[in-house]
Amino acid sequence: MVWTLRFTGLACVGLLLSSVSALAGPKVVSGPGADPGCFKPWSSETKFFQWDKKPGPYKIALVNGFVGNTWRIQMVKTAKAFAAQPGIKENIKEFKVVSTGTDVAAQLGAMEDFINQGFDAIVTIAVAPDGFDRIIRLADKNNVVVVPFDNVLDTDKVMMVNEDQKEMGRMSAKWLIDESGKKSGDILEVRGLPGNSVDRDRHLGFREVMEAPGNSFKITEVVGNWDTGTSQKVTADALAVHGHFDGVFTQGGSDGTVQAMMAAKHPFVPMSGEGENEFRKQIADHAKDGLKGMSYGQSPALVAIATKAAISALQGNVMPQLISIPIPVATYKDLKPGENYWPELNANFFAPNQFTPCGVNFTAPEIMSQSEKNTQ
Amino acid sequence: MLDDIAIRVRQNIGIVTAVLLFTILYLLYNLAHPKGFSSAVLVQNGDEIFALAMLAMAQTVPVLASGLDLSVGAVMTMVGCFASYLLTGAGGTPLHLDIFGLHLGLGTFPGGVSGILLGIVVCLAIGALAGFINGCIVVYGRIQPIIATLATGAVYIGIALFLRPTPGGKIDEDLNWALTNSLGDFAATVHIFGDGAAAWFAPIAWIPVPFVLLILIALLVWVPFRRSVLGRAVYAVGSAEGAAYMSGLPIDRAKIAAFTLAGFFAGCGGLFLAIQTSSGNADIPQAGAYTLNSIASVVIGGTSLLGGTGSAIGSIFGAMVLRVISFFFRIFDIAPLLQPLFEGLILLGAVCIGALGVLRVKNTLELFR
Repeated sequence: MVWTLRFTGLACVGLLLSSVSALAGPKVVSGPGADPGCFKPWSSETKFFQWDKKPGPYKIALVNGFVGNTWRIQMVKTAKAFAAQPGIKENIKEFKVVSTGTDVAAQLGAMEDFINQGFDAIVTIAVAPDGFDRIIRLADKNNVVVVPFDNVLDTDKVMMVNEDQKEMGRMSAKWLIDESGKKSGDILEVRGLPGNSVDRDRHLGFREVMEAPGNSFKITEVVGNWDTGTSQKVTADALAVHGHFDGVFTQGGSDGTVQAMMAAKHPFVPMSGEGENEFRKQIADHAKDGLKGMSYGQSPALVAIATKAAISALQGNVMPQLISIPIPVATYKDLKPGENYWPELNANFFAPNQFTPCGVNFTAPEIMSQSEKNTQ
Repeated sequence: MLDDIAIRVRQNIGIVTAVLLFTILYLLYNLAHPKGFSSAVLVQNGDEIFALAMLAMAQTVPVLASGLDLSVGAVMTMVGCFASYLLTGAGGTPLHLDIFGLHLGLGTFPGGVSGILLGIVVCLAIGALAGFINGCIVVYGRIQPIIATLATGAVYIGIALFLRPTPGGKIDEDLNWALTNSLGDFAATVHIFGDGAAAWFAPIAWIPVPFVLLILIALLVWVPFRRSVLGRAVYAVGSAEGAAYMSGLPIDRAKIAAFTLAGFFAGCGGLFLAIQTSSGNADIPQAGAYTLNSIASVVIGGTSLLGGTGSAIGSIFGAMVLRVISFFFRIFDIAPLLQPLFEGLILLGAVCIGALGVLRVKNTLELFR
């Protein structure tokens, strides 16, 4: 009986301890954060986090979801190359990369596995903007830094890295309006993967400007899944039905959109789209015929900045909760071969890959020409 | 006696292979894991396996009756979306329906413990109902199961998208914490057994809740069904429908029961996935991936796609084999872009071991049965 009581007491102490340690995780502190040139806070309202300093080098895992398109492959290669770069290499004891597919349970399991294995940080592209509460709770309990980037979470409890997707939509809309010089007309909008926060935010930003008071655009919306083939097909369908558009905004698979317009002998019109090298080549080739293009870029190098942010957080630096990365933009006016596009290269890749303020200095062709062996 | 065991092993070579393969792979994983054989690792694996294991069981029942169910992933997703409205706990949720420009108030779904329990029952009933509809279309509409469920699957995904056009919703936090942890945490969260500190409870406090749920569902739902007349009729329909008909077995009822049970199991999976992620998400690629993986699990677990032989227990092990392969990528350094290749090779190997029996066949004609 006494034994039972003592045991109960022990268990209570244990519970108390666990509830105390559950409060661990980042402290909310006031800014400014470390290295503001690279880690720029999203807005003036962005909170700042500080984790307890841990001695390096660190064990870091990249938990990717879907793998199989060019962007993700370029992202994985960039991550591997960045982790091997001098200045970063010294801080990393182990760098592991897994892709879990589109299955949220598998991604949660992989993240929990790395927490249990005693990793210090997990960099991830979330497969859904919701559903990671349990992982965040466990990570905080174990002082693990979780850094979602690209498809970020709808929460302010973790540090995240992204480009402003709404701003990309707004920029695209402004470009179409400025280049056509009109406040009305037929516009084609080619959207991305449905149900995704990136697709949603780019769309909302685009509509915000296009549908502002004083404008009367007729917008036709199709879904291209950010994929060259799908985007080409749906654009061709839209052209067959509507005949003519005065401007086109394509979220991704941009080169497919242009291909469809060329195949349908549609005259070139002002366009805004993603950062594919093919798309930039098309703009450079046909700008004089009227393809007045703007190409923004969601860069696969976001993974490098997220990794760098994780290391900085582990070193005990003050970090913004939401880090904004400048959007790399190129228009037909400032395309330069060998600098922001590569006319001699045929392989499809995403041109923007350099972020000098963050020390991410390799170009896209350097990354994509590396064989898988070199990046291990 | 030994002869008897040998015969039983030979008859169940598929499931025996799956169990052995899983045991070996899982032991290796735990040996290599810095925290191997700990409750934390078991909990993490249990959470990851549960939904797929349920879908594998769901897929098994129609397959035994020699029909594929392509809607299991969709039913899972739909039930998950319902759960994200019905399991919010606390003060309950006001429900309304916006359709055809109408705004219909449907009252408030109760919160609190009783509300959560009611929500769970409603979610499982929705799953079973979806399966029942599948069964009725197959039996009374006389449509091939694969086509019928392809169509209803699209309908269920449509309902899920209608409910959750963007991911979201909320599930009671304590419910999430209680069901995705060990029995000890469960008891501490729902305040039973002296908050999980009772002395007799200590030896089992480390067991993950999802494993307990899995075993309970298998023992309380699958085993009784397997032993019932209806359950045996499902096997009979799968192995020789004509003979089953001539023997006076309730063929129609067996098929409807098979699909209803599939819907129920898929509903269990969806419910757990929603609780695990604290939200509902009408994720179409994910639904498709789960459907495909459920079929793979059934095959790895030793159930013939032609129907008539196998069991849902085998499929659970099939699902676990499928999952455990990817566990290794987290421990060992394998080039990220080569991981799918390795996964495929190991799977191919597993299926080949299960099919080794073919080599011993004395008469080629036996291969055609």
